[in-house]
Amino acid sequence: MAKLEAKGLQPAPAAGKRVLIRRATYDLTGLPPTPQEVEGFLADRSKQAFAKVVDRLLASPHYGERWGRHWLDVVRYADTAGDSADYPVPQAYLYRNYVIYSFNRDKPYNEFIHEQISGDLLPAKSDAEKWEHTVATGYLAIAKRFSVKPENYKYLTIDDTIDNLGKTFLGLSVACARCHDHKYDPIPSKDYYALYGILDSTRYPFAGSENINEQRDFVYRLPQEKVEASLKAYNDLLKPLDARLDQLEKEKTGLDKAGAGTDAALHPVVAHRTVEEIDKEIREIKKQRQKIRAEVPILEAAYAVAEGAPHDAPVLLRGDPAKQGEVVPRHFLQILGGQSLPRDDKSSGRLELAQWIADPKNPLSARVMVNRIWQNHFGRGIVATASDFGRRGKAPTHPELLDYLATRFVESGWSIKAMHRLIMLSRVYQLESDGPPENARIDPGNDLYWRFNRQRLDAESIRDAMLKVSGDLDPTVGTAHPFPPPAVWNWTQHNPFAAVYDTNRRSVYLMVQRSQRHPYLSVFDGADPNVSTAERTSSVTPLQALFVMNSEFIQERSERYAARLMDAEPNDARRLDLVFESAFARPPAPEEQQRALAYLSQSRKMLEAADVSPDRVTQESWASFLRAVLASNEFIYID
Amino acid sequence: MADHSNCGCTRRDSLRSLLGASLVFPAILSDLLAADGPVSSDANPLAPKPPHFPPRAKRVIFLHMSGGVSHVDTFDPKPKLIADHGKTTAGGKYLSRPKWNFRPYGKSGTEISDLLPHIGECVDDLCVIRTMKNDHGDHFEATLGIHTGSVTFTRPSIGAWVSYGLGTFNQNLPSFMVLAPQLPYAGSQVWGSDFLPAVHQGTRIVPGPEPIPNLQPRAPSPEIQEMELGLIDFFNRRHLGERESDAALAGRIKSFETAFHMQKEGPQAFDLSKESDSTLKLYGLERGTTSGFGWQCLVARRLAERGVRFVELIDSGSNTNWDAHGDMQTCVPLAKNIDQPIAGLLKDLKSRGMLQDTLVVWTTEFGRTPFCAQPDAKGREHHARAYSSWLAGGGVKGGITHGQTDDYGIEVASDLMHIHDFHATILYLLGMDHTRLTFRHAGRDFRLTDVAGRVVKEIMV
Repeated sequence: MAKLEAKGLQPAPAAGKRVLIRRATYDLTGLPPTPQEVEGFLADRSKQAFAKVVDRLLASPHYGERWGRHWLDVVRYADTAGDSADYPVPQAYLYRNYVIYSFNRDKPYNEFIHEQISGDLLPAKSDAEKWEHTVATGYLAIAKRFSVKPENYKYLTIDDTIDNLGKTFLGLSVACARCHDHKYDPIPSKDYYALYGILDSTRYPFAGSENINEQRDFVYRLPQEKVEASLKAYNDLLKPLDARLDQLEKEKTGLDKAGAGTDAALHPVVAHRTVEEIDKEIREIKKQRQKIRAEVPILEAAYAVAEGAPHDAPVLLRGDPAKQGEVVPRHFLQILGGQSLPRDDKSSGRLELAQWIADPKNPLSARVMVNRIWQNHFGRGIVATASDFGRRGKAPTHPELLDYLATRFVESGWSIKAMHRLIMLSRVYQLESDGPPENARIDPGNDLYWRFNRQRLDAESIRDAMLKVSGDLDPTVGTAHPFPPPAVWNWTQHNPFAAVYDTNRRSVYLMVQRSQRHPYLSVFDGADPNVSTAERTSSVTPLQALFVMNSEFIQERSERYAARLMDAEPNDARRLDLVFESAFARPPAPEEQQRALAYLSQSRKMLEAADVSPDRVTQESWASFLRAVLASNEFIYID
Repeated sequence: MADHSNCGCTRRDSLRSLLGASLVFPAILSDLLAADGPVSSDANPLAPKPPHFPPRAKRVIFLHMSGGVSHVDTFDPKPKLIADHGKTTAGGKYLSRPKWNFRPYGKSGTEISDLLPHIGECVDDLCVIRTMKNDHGDHFEATLGIHTGSVTFTRPSIGAWVSYGLGTFNQNLPSFMVLAPQLPYAGSQVWGSDFLPAVHQGTRIVPGPEPIPNLQPRAPSPEIQEMELGLIDFFNRRHLGERESDAALAGRIKSFETAFHMQKEGPQAFDLSKESDSTLKLYGLERGTTSGFGWQCLVARRLAERGVRFVELIDSGSNTNWDAHGDMQTCVPLAKNIDQPIAGLLKDLKSRGMLQDTLVVWTTEFGRTPFCAQPDAKGREHHARAYSSWLAGGGVKGGITHGQTDDYGIEVASDLMHIHDFHATILYLLGMDHTRLTFRHAGRDFRLTDVAGRVVKEIMV
């Protein structure tokens, strides 16, 4: 406020109640308020009216679907692995749902950090809690897989993990130190390989690949003995086949070498068989394997990590795994304290890593998270580069505010919901999105928050809001995607996995793939699941306009919205009120009412002229009207 | 749409009456935008932007052959490979002669194999680059490499970079259009915009009734759609009028106008019915077909004519492509698919005076090994260390070759053209300095050429 006055800026007036409830409802749940909710808020004249709305929204199960999605952007969540064949990961959704559930439960953020990095190493009070902790490490498991043989490129997957870990929790581009000491921030290459050692001591699950088209190293819910018991019969059949396959692959390699004349004398036997003959046998064995695999029971498992063989890793010179340098003891980033593992430690070090990150003395973790929360409320962070608090990032516009929020965050027990309350009940959140025009000349970017930033709905909210007003939204929690059964998996680089699954559930439950963008989400700036997305762009393109004008989705929504309206209300004027209340959270102005009624009568004539059957004309004219409502700026933008 | 109706009035009459009632989409927003002052680049990130220096080429047609085209069977003749067929290499592999004969073409006498005789006829317009090098020997990574400069990390495609750097001429069509009947290796990442604004991502065109997604109006009649647009416009103007001016809101109003024009202009761009028989013949295209590379090439010319900045054609997908491990003869139908259409495109552009400022790029993710593990092998493996591509038009010298591989086409011998050099050169021809075309993301400035790239000026006019 002092800053505003110093610059001669007058803050915008307080937003009206309708604007405020629409803003808050989309903000916390990604859905529009219902007419009843708007009415209830208008009728509540108490001082706590808005606080009650905020509490109600925070208690909604849709809150986690909205704010969980923000988190999934940052951790580049996908339902596929990202290798050249883009193997589907049917169990990935467990982590997605864990994130949503954690936000809904207001899991303290420090616990959230612990669970995602080291859930498998934490004590648990029950089997359910142990499973939840295991699923949480899906955060590490969903790191991107690379190439045709992801089994050979673990170092790239670890690099992707470190990159994400640095950006997500610390707002630092640690991965810059893979090939050289960080150019701008004090992160030496040794720090990178100290973290590398921790992750290289961790067992990542394997989603399948062109050569090995089955899952390995997933974490089962049942104890290991029971898993082994139930799989023993099948493994006994598979083991000799696998051994034979190994042998054949070696024979083939040997034949290649022998053929090349290097050491033919060492392989006198293989010369009797050609590559084609060996390939034929390989194919036959693979067929037998496939048959057995189709019978294997699918046990409950998570795309999660486990402890591997603990060791320190060498520096890889210029990031090249063939050029190993000095071995670096596992430790934390030196600028954040450089803590090291206890001397007698026999673990990967993930437990300690989570502690170092979630330590209240760590100056970055709390600041980075409160800044993300602020950013998702206002459309921009106090630090505009939400995943880069380093020297190359943008300086905070309000450093004291950031410090204050971070302190309150830790004091509140790392409660994210408490942050929402603090921010949303502040005056600055409740300003109108238009202020005195003179301000725009002094502070055009609204750096000083003299008004609320108008925001375009994100891809998910646009789709969800349209489903909601048309009465088609399935509000249930998403479950597993309808992937083909593992026994038929044979995805390759030449025939990669590619699918789009339709659902009327919320968009956070759509299947997202790494090698093929979702056709809808990519048009409206959805997150790219290959890379961490700190901030969505809000582009405006003619392809988006074509979508709202002509897509089958819009067609369906408008038809269903119209049908719902027909059922609800016989009178056009009252129907119109319903439409405006549900879509815009306000009644129509007289001019709009006039125009709408004229439109309906004109369009009826047009529809008759277009040979639409008379019993459909009224509904069709409403559908036409509603297409325009759904396409309008007022529907897509939040004041 | 029938021109009559059961109420007895004609379509024109009803339209006129609607215009009277001012319910129809005005489709002219200049008044609105004039009132708001000139449209800033915020409102239209695709407005044409000045390049860094005077460009030689104004637009690009980028031809990508999927699977890895064998250089020693197409553009890199190796007499010694023929002479030494069957001999072993230092690595213990067997040299394998080209499966097709080479012959000189044109005034320049550049040799091209019998696999691509029509392209051979155009050789005096080509700058054949024989020293391409990619950073990875697998399809997925190498396909990303030739498009984005990075074989590992997700980065924007060259088309997205060009759109970001230069905008586009025709606001009624996307700036970067990709005619890809099948998905290539690495899928839509190939034309992605990654951290660049989404407006710069490639729009995939699939031959068929709806080449651009949602281009076809679904409203019960065109008049009704115009009415709907009129209503949207009414809502949006009222909405804007009640607020302080806002570039995003005005931009979105404009986007409906653009989309409306795109609906008209899009189908026209894809409608080949007015093309003459001789033009169709040039491309080897039968009237009425929308399949095959001839269709892609002719549509590419039409899009270039209409001011689309970057048009990419991908000839095949992640299978049934140039990946001839088993037998090089599988390349015959693939070559037949592209040969005459590409020659037709070059001739057509030339006769229309467009070749001089249209850069045509022909490339692939890598070449194929001039040697094999077996003495009698019919196929070839991946080879990213040296392979061929070519450029034509757009300020490139025609009838020349650039660089040499060794006697067998295994390694680059002189004048390397690494993918970063290739990209830097393409950007230069478009009037852009590859070191200045940057985007700040995750704390640093990214560019198409990472920290490398040499502009190869020798090949320029």
